[in-house]
Amino acid sequence: MKTDLADGQTLKEMFASGTAWLEKCAADINAINVFPVPDGDTGTNMLLTMQFALEEAKLNSDNHVSSVAKSLAHGALMGARGNSGVILSQFFRGLAKGLEGKTHFDGGDFARALAGASQTAYKGIVNPVEGTILTVLKDASKAAQEAVKNDDTLVSVLEEAVKSAKVSVARTPSLLPVLKEAGVVDAGGQGLYVLLDGALQFLKGESQKIQYRRPRLVVAETELVSRAAHMPSRLETPYGYCTNFVLEGQNLNLGKIEKDLKKKGQSLIITGDDTLVRVHIHSFEPSEILRYATRSGKLHEITINNMDDQYAEFIKMQRERMPSVDIAMVTVATGDGFFELLNSLGNIIIVPGGQTMNPSVRELLQAVESAPSDNVIILPNNKNIVSAASQVRSLTSKKVKVVPTRNIPQGIAAFLAFGFDMNLEKNAQAMEKAISKLRAIEVTRAVRGTRLGGLEIKKGQFIALLNDEDLIARADKVGDVVLEALGKAGAEKAEIVTIYYGAEIKDVEAQEIAQDIRDRYHTEVEVVYGGQPHYGCIISLE
Amino acid sequence: MVKVVTDSCSDITPQLAQELGITVVPLYVQFGNETYRDNVDLTTEGFYHELKESKIHPTTATATPADFAELFTKLAEETKEILTITLSEKFSATYAAALQGKTMVKKDCRIEVIDSKAGAGAQMLLVISAAKMAQSGANLDQIVDWVWRALPRVHIRMSFDTLEYLRRGGRIGKAQTFLGSLLKVNPVVGIKSGATFPIARPRNRAQAMDFLVNFVKGFSDIEAVAIEDATTPDDLQTLAERLKDVVPPERIYRSKVSPVIGTHVGPHVLAVAVLEYV
Repeated sequence: MKTDLADGQTLKEMFASGTAWLEKCAADINAINVFPVPDGDTGTNMLLTMQFALEEAKLNSDNHVSSVAKSLAHGALMGARGNSGVILSQFFRGLAKGLEGKTHFDGGDFARALAGASQTAYKGIVNPVEGTILTVLKDASKAAQEAVKNDDTLVSVLEEAVKSAKVSVARTPSLLPVLKEAGVVDAGGQGLYVLLDGALQFLKGESQKIQYRRPRLVVAETELVSRAAHMPSRLETPYGYCTNFVLEGQNLNLGKIEKDLKKKGQSLIITGDDTLVRVHIHSFEPSEILRYATRSGKLHEITINNMDDQYAEFIKMQRERMPSVDIAMVTVATGDGFFELLNSLGNIIIVPGGQTMNPSVRELLQAVESAPSDNVIILPNNKNIVSAASQVRSLTSKKVKVVPTRNIPQGIAAFLAFGFDMNLEKNAQAMEKAISKLRAIEVTRAVRGTRLGGLEIKKGQFIALLNDEDLIARADKVGDVVLEALGKAGAEKAEIVTIYYGAEIKDVEAQEIAQDIRDRYHTEVEVVYGGQPHYGCIISLE
Repeated sequence: MVKVVTDSCSDITPQLAQELGITVVPLYVQFGNETYRDNVDLTTEGFYHELKESKIHPTTATATPADFAELFTKLAEETKEILTITLSEKFSATYAAALQGKTMVKKDCRIEVIDSKAGAGAQMLLVISAAKMAQSGANLDQIVDWVWRALPRVHIRMSFDTLEYLRRGGRIGKAQTFLGSLLKVNPVVGIKSGATFPIARPRNRAQAMDFLVNFVKGFSDIEAVAIEDATTPDDLQTLAERLKDVVPPERIYRSKVSPVIGTHVGPHVLAVAVLEYV
């Protein structure tokens, strides 16, 4: 039984309500924006796009849902900002297609329109990525189609869609590694969920609630370690310019424009028809893009944003949002396992680098400046980085202590020795004490044949260094060199031996070595993935 | 004579409580529908046995205002002054219950209720000293004054194999920063301003033991020390041996964490509390 046939006015008010809801959390959505470019504007872009769409719909006095949906789509297309805005405009385009020719609509119509919107959105993206707004839209549309089978009223269909969108948002980090790494859910997906949730509140007659409340942002379903801290220190390749415009012309060939533009930049999204095309692209040469487009017609709504500036702003915003701590930590590490391990131990800013790539003074300085405290301890984890770290002290107004850790096990021991009830000086002392008791063995392959420390070494043989200095063992097998080196380093007296195995070693192999160590030296052994290059194993004895 | 009252989370042994004339109000432990009075119907040994056997994870409940009112009314027959020292109000509503219980007493009797801002051994040491003062004839004002001065001078450190129990019971506080470690650690946690606070992360139990011993060694003027375990008496013995040279043995109180505390800390806790001279 169809009890709630809705008209164009209802559609208008649904999205007006959704937009009001979105406005309340646009800033929060900006703050979690890391994909495809962490420029911190997803919330704002979606909001501006929605405002354009509503503006256009308001001018339309026709009450047919088909006509209103078309206005929304046209407005969104003209006003689309950024990646998420363009995808949103495609959403409305698909919705308009689905509702074409209808005066009224019910849940079934809406579900079909959503399915069309999802398809249109996927088609418009050159390389669709899962774990984004696209996935959330797809999941919501699937749920809506399922819901129709039980109850095809608009409110219950939308309710199911919103529920599913929420679950989908929470799942985005497990689909998109960059989100997981940053400890956030997808910003665009979050925005779409909020928009639909706001629309649902209107249908349920709860719009007035919006006035007094704020949307509760969806958090990731897996427990995420907060690691926003290590983003600021990474000097990434520049992002270039985010270029947006609407191209108006006759007999425009969407396919050809897409093919041509694809060669000229990244994150291309293109949508529209043969008279009006919306383009979004990231490029280092925006002038070239515009020159190309002017050949086919007139350009409107041109915006070009320098994403590197936006990124810098985003970092600043992230820093302001970071919980301030009494003492912040900065360290240098390489290997995905070590990144994860260090992050699991607490808030620490990681500057990527190590033996073969020492970070510059500038990179260390940036990390110190971005740290959420005026008291900073630097753990350089390499003797060649200690002096660069010391130079940072004279370049910043912050109070900086360098605890001269010479390898990563020392860095980890120092980090673990961090006392939450101690001041900067006391902590630095405690850390120096902790590292003085620790011995580290690094196992690597000899890059050439040589004689060292009285040992004949063949090229490619495994060698073990004690405390980054003394060559204490060599062997053809990694396990053999580890066992021998541990014997020379006094493993039987160690309370705990930790093996951090590198990218080239398999987990089972590391576990076998650990068992051999337990059997021979009767000590506690822990195996942890470090993922470091060049060093098969890095081992600490405490 | 001032009567000293505390709750079962002070972990004071029944023998010592009797010796010093301390009245202990039990909190409650619940396994499903079964309710036990902490340290009365259920001892630490019985509790961990039950924990292993029972499929249900226990929950804990505060002593009620009526428990306190009833006790205060009874004590008011023999004294005009009662001092109650409770578990931190950030861990339990027992402090609030004691305050409410006090208002329900119709007898003419002064009752002071103080939040220990701690629990376990730290609370125990405050209660023991207060009871000794009472026995030697101090009045309520004198004891209350001493307790207020002693509060910042009592410290506790607890070492854990896992923080899972603290997390599950919602008492982890700022120590949640220690969760999620990919490296095996034996975290040491303290209590600061009445709430759980992260202190240090030794790598194993031996290092944790060293940490606890060094913690005691760090004080110059120690009035008393309390040490506790749950299911590891050998470790407690080792700890006692190692502290022998730091603090005279007669000033070291040994006990076990009560079932209520045990619910929130787990079977492998090792705790040390220090009371400095006030």
